[in-house]
Amino acid sequence: MLIGAVVAGVVFGLYFALVGLGLNLVFGVMRIVNLAHGDVLMLGGYAAWWLLSAFGLHPLVAAVLVLGVFIAVGYPLYYLVVPQLQRARDSEMLSLILFFGLSQMIEAVTTIAVGTTERSLPGRMLGIGPFILLGARLPKPWVFSGVVSAVAVAGVYLYLYRTRLGMLTRAVMVSRDEALATGIDVHRVSALAFGIALGLAGVAGVFAPFMLGSITPAMGPDINLTAFAVIVVGTLGNPLGTVAGGVIYGVALMLMQTYYSSWANLLPNLLLIAVLLVRPEGLFGRKTRRA
Amino acid sequence: MMAALALLAGFATASWAAPVPKEIRVGTLYASTGPFASISMPAYDGLRLWARQVNAAGGLYVKPYGRKIPVRLIAYDDQSSTATAATLYNELISRDHVNVLIADSGSVLTSVAVPIAREHKMFLFDISGTGKPFFTRDNPYIALMSLPISTLWPSVQADFLDSVGLRAGIRRVAILYATNDFSGTHANALAGYLREAGKLRIVYDQGVPTNTSNYTVLINNIAATKPDAVIELGFPGNDIGFLRALHESGEHFRYVFTLFGGFEMHALLGGAGAAAMDGTFTYVPAALYPYKVNYGPTLARFHAAWDAAYPKGSGVPWGADGLMGYMTGLVVQKALATTTGMGQLDLRRAVFAQSGKLRTLAGPFRLSRDGAQIGEMTPVGQLHADGHGGLRLVAVYPPAAAKAKPVFGK
Repeated sequence: MLIGAVVAGVVFGLYFALVGLGLNLVFGVMRIVNLAHGDVLMLGGYAAWWLLSAFGLHPLVAAVLVLGVFIAVGYPLYYLVVPQLQRARDSEMLSLILFFGLSQMIEAVTTIAVGTTERSLPGRMLGIGPFILLGARLPKPWVFSGVVSAVAVAGVYLYLYRTRLGMLTRAVMVSRDEALATGIDVHRVSALAFGIALGLAGVAGVFAPFMLGSITPAMGPDINLTAFAVIVVGTLGNPLGTVAGGVIYGVALMLMQTYYSSWANLLPNLLLIAVLLVRPEGLFGRKTRRA
Repeated sequence: MMAALALLAGFATASWAAPVPKEIRVGTLYASTGPFASISMPAYDGLRLWARQVNAAGGLYVKPYGRKIPVRLIAYDDQSSTATAATLYNELISRDHVNVLIADSGSVLTSVAVPIAREHKMFLFDISGTGKPFFTRDNPYIALMSLPISTLWPSVQADFLDSVGLRAGIRRVAILYATNDFSGTHANALAGYLREAGKLRIVYDQGVPTNTSNYTVLINNIAATKPDAVIELGFPGNDIGFLRALHESGEHFRYVFTLFGGFEMHALLGGAGAAAMDGTFTYVPAALYPYKVNYGPTLARFHAAWDAAYPKGSGVPWGADGLMGYMTGLVVQKALATTTGMGQLDLRRAVFAQSGKLRTLAGPFRLSRDGAQIGEMTPVGQLHADGHGGLRLVAVYPPAAAKAKPVFGK
């Protein structure tokens, strides 16, 4: 049972790395907290469900479409919302309020549009039967989702470390003011990061029915809480630390389900508290000294 | 002299009688969003249908006034939040001065209504909050309408496993439940019945948080205990996650039971699919079982009225929760038609007077002294794929309700 839990935890954790990645990218680049992140993920799930129901589109095709559309929507949305926020004195607090409102609005509108019934995608679309990995039986859709998550993480890594735009993005993450002073088009870089973050959340949403069983308009807040735990563990503002955070969360969750199942939903909170007490900068954060 | 006295008495009655109200205010809550929306909204839609029908017929007959009075449904959205629900229940009572108070669906949102109703001495019509702690001898202000109390409900399944299941070779049982008032009490009661009978061995008995949606590792852990029967008790989201994970895991158990397979067949079918549900067992809700009625419409007539009110594409699904909301309206209607006064304890007496007599489309209505529903014993049924992507649910136990024999897996 132990090995099974650990292996399942790693795969599940990879998925949650994808879930947290966009949230962390937005925080890292813009220093704002997108409380509507879970709702964007939910919209990705509903988009995949609609594309399958209406046009018979396979979830993998849907994932590509969702990525493109969400990036395209996220880019102008940035200009609509974020620059105004950043001009405010307390932009982090204001972002909490604004995105909380946006989250509520997305949930309400989705409820009106599709109702409250749980929706899902047939598991057979990503393969039927178990996949044996190191002796552990995993559903094939899990393995598929884990692989897609790993590819998405690798894509973000390549973007950040192997492209010029990625280098500029990292410069903004280090210091927005200095990036501005050196002539970097901060808004363009940030808008693209915002779009990519929404796209990643959308892709995570496409695979949510396979990993989480079903999607509902109300799933956003729960997803947010878990995503926060993942990115705080892996270091706020460090998108790649999210992978470690996701895997730690996944393994810890599966171990809790195996040995103390009733307490499993305490896990995100416990991880948050533990990290904030022991290593507030996160696992990959650098300690800073302020004179 | 006698005629003068009679005239005087008539004047006195007329001058002392309470004025006839313009409307009977029925207050309730619904959850348009959040985890309980899927059970709450259909119940509210059922209540709305009932109110619409009553008003189309000229209103509710209220015995103390000797006439029909229109009903006004006052409803607020608690968004599945117990904190919001607590505020809104108080507003219904203190600000809106409702004559009749109906709880939101399910045990979680009913749990906050019970102490508030009691404090305000308002009789609470509890649609489907089956949690055992709600019903105590010292609280006269509650009655459960349409589902059996959760401690009694599992007795049918326990009997089924102890008799039919045992004969078919079921020996080892695993119970996995979501830790909330509803399914937690249900699971504990089921385990209690099985342990008391002592015929089957419980090899796994674990709770998981209600928001659990991934069951892969849990199913692996259950399989390691080699059970013949696996019983999963939770809300529809739990059932979907469990059935999907089980189907995708490739594990097979001889008997698999989910709580909402019948009650929310439409939702589970959309989430888990017919293949994952084929052959599993569940409770047969009143929406799929035509009980004999002596008050209100039959199941067929109600279904037709529902389809007319909420046609396909309206986004309002047909199912057990809608029926339970409507049935609660019927009990309110009967109580007001027979009550001797408009006080809350008068209403209680009128409701309890129907215990053992009333038979609605939800089944026989019978209350214990503490207000728990003990009349409606939901049969155990088995789901079979119909070959067209749908399912049919067939009652298999108890024998009086059975339409077919159960088929256990190999």
